[in-house]
This record gives sequence, C-alpha cells and structure tokens, in this order.
Amino acid sequence: MIRPGLLLRLVVFTALIAFLAMPDRFAGLLAPLTDNGAPAIYNQGSLVSLTLSHLFTVALATSAATIVAVGLAIFVTRPAGAEFLALSRAAVNIGQTFPPVAVLALSVPAMGFGEGPTRLALFLYGLLPIFENSLVGLSTLPPAVVESASAMGMTGRQRLLKVELPLAMPLIIEGIRLSAVIGLATATIGSTVAAKGLGEVIVAGLQSNNLAFVVQGGVITGILAVLISDGFQILARRTSKRRGASPQASRPATDGQQAPV
Amino acid sequence: MIDLSHLTKVYGDTAVVDDVNMHVEAGTITVIVGTSGSGKSTLLRMVNRLVEPTKGRILVQGRDVLKMPAYELRRSIGYAIQSHGLFPHWTVARNIATVPMLLGWDRKKVAARVEELMELFQLDHAQFAGRYPHELSGGQQQRVGVARAMAAKPALLLMDEPFGALDPIIRGKAQADLKAIQRRTGTTILLVTHDMDEAIHLGDRIAVMDAGQLKQYAPAADILARPADAFVDDLIGTADRPFHYLTLGTLGSAVEPGEADGAPLAASASLYEGLGALLWSGRKAAPVIGDDGAPLGRVSLSGITDRAAQPR
Ligand SMILES: Nc1ncnc2c1ncn2[C@@H]1O[C@H](COP(=O)(O)OP(=O)(O)OP(=O)(O)O)[C@@H](O)[C@H]1O
Ligand SMILES: [Mg+2]
Repeated sequence: MIRPGLLLRLVVFTALIAFLAMPDRFAGLLAPLTDNGAPAIYNQGSLVSLTLSHLFTVALATSAATIVAVGLAIFVTRPAGAEFLALSRAAVNIGQTFPPVAVLALSVPAMGFGEGPTRLALFLYGLLPIFENSLVGLSTLPPAVVESASAMGMTGRQRLLKVELPLAMPLIIEGIRLSAVIGLATATIGSTVAAKGLGEVIVAGLQSNNLAFVVQGGVITGILAVLISDGFQILARRTSKRRGASPQASRPATDGQQAPV
Repeated sequence: MIDLSHLTKVYGDTAVVDDVNMHVEAGTITVIVGTSGSGKSTLLRMVNRLVEPTKGRILVQGRDVLKMPAYELRRSIGYAIQSHGLFPHWTVARNIATVPMLLGWDRKKVAARVEELMELFQLDHAQFAGRYPHELSGGQQQRVGVARAMAAKPALLLMDEPFGALDPIIRGKAQADLKAIQRRTGTTILLVTHDMDEAIHLGDRIAVMDAGQLKQYAPAADILARPADAFVDDLIGTADRPFHYLTLGTLGSAVEPGEADGAPLAASASLYEGLGALLWSGRKAAPVIGDDGAPLGRVSLSGITDRAAQPR
C-alpha cells in the first residue's frame, strides 16, 4: 500500500520534472500572472541548467560544511579537543549570524563574481545546524554504552567509528537536512553576484515586474527544498529505526514537535 | 591471578580507594561488598584501567597492567555491569561477538563461539541472534551482557552488580547459572555487590570495603564466624547471621544414621533449605538421599540448628 504522503510527493516530483522538461506547456497556467504580453516562462536561460547549478552549489557547500562541522564536533568531544569547545561554538555561531548577503559583498572583491562567493556564504551559514546537532549527538550517548566500548577493548578510533558515530547518525543527518534546506533557499541571493541559479529567475522577475518569473523560481526552489528535506528524513529514520526510542527522545525540537502551550 | 598492592585512588583530597592489598586466587569467585560509596566500583575499574590508579600496583597473571596498552589489557578481561551497556545498534549476535571481532578471530570461529555462548546462557539462537537489545527483556539483556563479557574466553571476568536490576527470582537463577558456568570454565571472577546474600552465595572469598579501605578479606564462613570489626558485623546483620551460615553447608554434612518419615531431602541441598523444609512440613527429622536417590540416613532439626551456632 502506498501512503498518501508518499503519493503526494511522487505527484509533486513528477510535476516538477514535467515542468523542467517542457516549461512551455505550462505557459498557459502562468500567463495570468503577466502583464502586457510579457513572456510567462523564463526565457533568458534554460531552467534545467539553472536548477542543476543551483543544486550543485548547495550540494557543494553543504558537503563542505558537513565535513568541517562534523569533524569539529568530533574533535571537541575528544579529551584532547574539549578545551576548544567554547571557541568552536563561537566561530560557528559567527558563521551563522553574519548575514550571507554581507559575506557576498565582502567576498566579491577577493573572489570575483560568480558561484564562489555564494558557495562560501552557504558554507558558513550551514555550519551551525550540523555542528550543534553533531555535538548533541556525540555528547548525549548513553554513558554505559560508551564505557562498554572502551571496556571491551576498542581503541578511541574504533569506539568513534563503530559506536559513537553510528549512534549519533540520526542527529547528524538531521543537521545536514536543516543546513541543506536553508542553503537551498539562501542560494537564491547568489544571483545578485552573478552566480547561476534559480535566484536569477526570481531577480529577473522582480526587475521586469513579471510575477510569473518570481513564482516559477520560487516554486521550483520550494519543491526542491521539500523533497530534499523528505529524503534526509527518510534516511534519518532508517538509521534510527533499529534501536528503540532513544534517538527520537533526545532529538532537539527542530521538526515540528511543538511544546504544549 | 590478581595481585593488588598499595592500590590507591584519590579524587580531590579523599582517597576513595585507600591502600588496598589483595590477592585473588585463579579459578575462584571473589566478591567485593560494602556500603554505597565505599569504593567497590572504583577498585574493580582500576583492574581494567577504566580508572587510572593514583598509586600502587596491579598484577594480572603476573603482568603489570599499568605497563600494557589499555585496549590490549581490556580485550583479555571480561567486563559486565548492571546497566549492561549493550550496543543498541547491533544485534545480539554482533554484541556477543564484539571482543572476538576486535581480536580478529575468523568469521567461522566467531559464529561458532556466539552459538556456543547463546546456548550456555539459554538464549535460543534462532530466536534471539538477530534481535536488537531493545527487543529483549531485562533478564535477557543481562545474559547477553555476561555472554559478551565471556566471549573471548577471558581468564578474568570483572562484574559490577551484574544482577542488580533483576527481580529476585531471575536474580537467584542468574546467580546459580553464573556459579555453574564459572565452575565449568574455571574463569576467575571479581564481582561487586552490596547484597550480602549474593556475596555469601557466590563468593569463595569475600572482601569487605568501607570508606575506601579493605576491612576484611576472607572466606564467607570466616567472615560470618569472626567479623573483623563492628562495621563488618553490622553489614552481615545480627539476625541473619545464623541463617547465612546455614546457606554455606549442605545437608550431606549433617546426615546422621537412622530413619525418618515423609518426603526425602537431597544431600546437596543447603542446610538452610533443609531447615525450611523441616519447619514447613512440621517434622523433627527427614530422610536424606544422595544424587543417585540412594538413602543416606536422616537429618534432624537439632542436627541442623547445632550447625547454626557461632563456631568457637
Ligand atoms: N570520577 C569521579 N570523580 C570524583 N569522585 C568520584 C568519581 N568516581 C567515584 N567517585 C567517588 O568515589 C567514591 C566511591 O565511588 P564508587 O563508585 O567506587 O562506590 P561504590 O562502592 O561502587 O558505590 P555503589 O555501591 O553506590 O556503586 C564515591 O564517594 C564517589 O562519589
Ligand atoms: Mg558501584
């Protein structure tokens, strides 16, 4: 039996593919949003290639952020790195609080126009959720389990790879999910510094007062975000499914589990 | 097997283990008892270096443990604790296989050993091997924890209140099973508990700890008969002492010639069980039979109670 949620996602995904493959077929749908016979479908570049480069930029930035943030979280949860916890937190927090637009403005003189500044901005912006989640995941493991790993004669490295990381994985994946979703939305600002991406469509729409462009750029980005977020959630559930309730219980309230009012 | 000399652990400015000297004979069960916070766990955990001693020396099988890499030492020593610490993301079989895999045994040998242990601990292989720890009862988890500790056939097994979380009936069975397995394998066991019954039931020797110091270290019968000081006396409990004492002897040791009516008692049962059976059936004596069912004579109420008096 196919669950309704899954069915809905399949429909949305198919619609997205159809739109990207044959956007002109959808022109009629978007035409009411245009004035004075302006084009309803973005015509200054291929939507497929803009979507792919948007995704590529996010994937690159999120992967780099994952490597750095998880690595840092591992480091500060080892005895040797414990004293760097506060420092790392501060650094990662600055990455998050510094507005991505400002990163773009500051990095263009050094890196030039194009994808570079966007990737840097997304990377810095994406560190915090991954770092914080990994940190929670690695530092809230059941003490008896971690101690058992040592008591059985695992070396520090074996304990990390065989026990700590697998057990922290659902939370780490949750962090990557947040980072990827935020990145997907934030990447649209890259078009202000000439990065190829879906932001280009939105900005073009704003400049020519063409609502149809804004809507198609925004909707494609939104659908990608939802689908990618779902993908990560399925992955996280898979990694936590087998070990009872514990990871669910220790998960920070990041996804819709609201506290009772 | 184990030699502790001047073993000391200081936290802040209190010695939680204070200059302990102790020798544990190979192939025996030694039980450490004491009140909460007396340093039992700390003492135990220094043997496999989960806690680093402040001072003193630990020899295991003649080797100075402080001079070995910790991981190598720990692979040669079994360790089981109350909250079992099973790896939640691994199946029962994978959990039990932990140390053999770390030691690089080949797959066939590991699989055979896992099956052997599961049988030893009465866990049906077909039913339980593929289960995850959260799919087991507390008693089953505990057995898997002990099986995991014994997987690589360590000569020494450290246990910290291994049965503390079990209900009395399961606990009694787990203790009996452990004792039987220990007699069969000859494993040396160092076990921490704060249950005096458990200590007397399991321990070939009992070590009594108080405020970090080893107050008395002797066979159970000696501790009962001649407590070293008021603390040990207190720990045993005045009212329970004769009954504890009766758990140490068997009916076989109290057999006298003659006959008696009613259901026979087994010579291998403890004097304590014999006393209970006599009292409950309202008899003054009962026939005794050996393991093979042959009549050996009888035991009498007075014959048993005589053995509950403090030896002089
Ligand atoms: N890491 C530590 N840092 C500081 N003090 C500690 C530490 N570990 C144990 N202690 C202290 O050492 C003392 C002995 O602790 P230990 O765990 O050995 O007691 P125990 O005899 O096993 O008690 P219980 O029966 O409650 O398990 C306690 O007072 C405890 O607070
Ligand atoms: Mg303890």
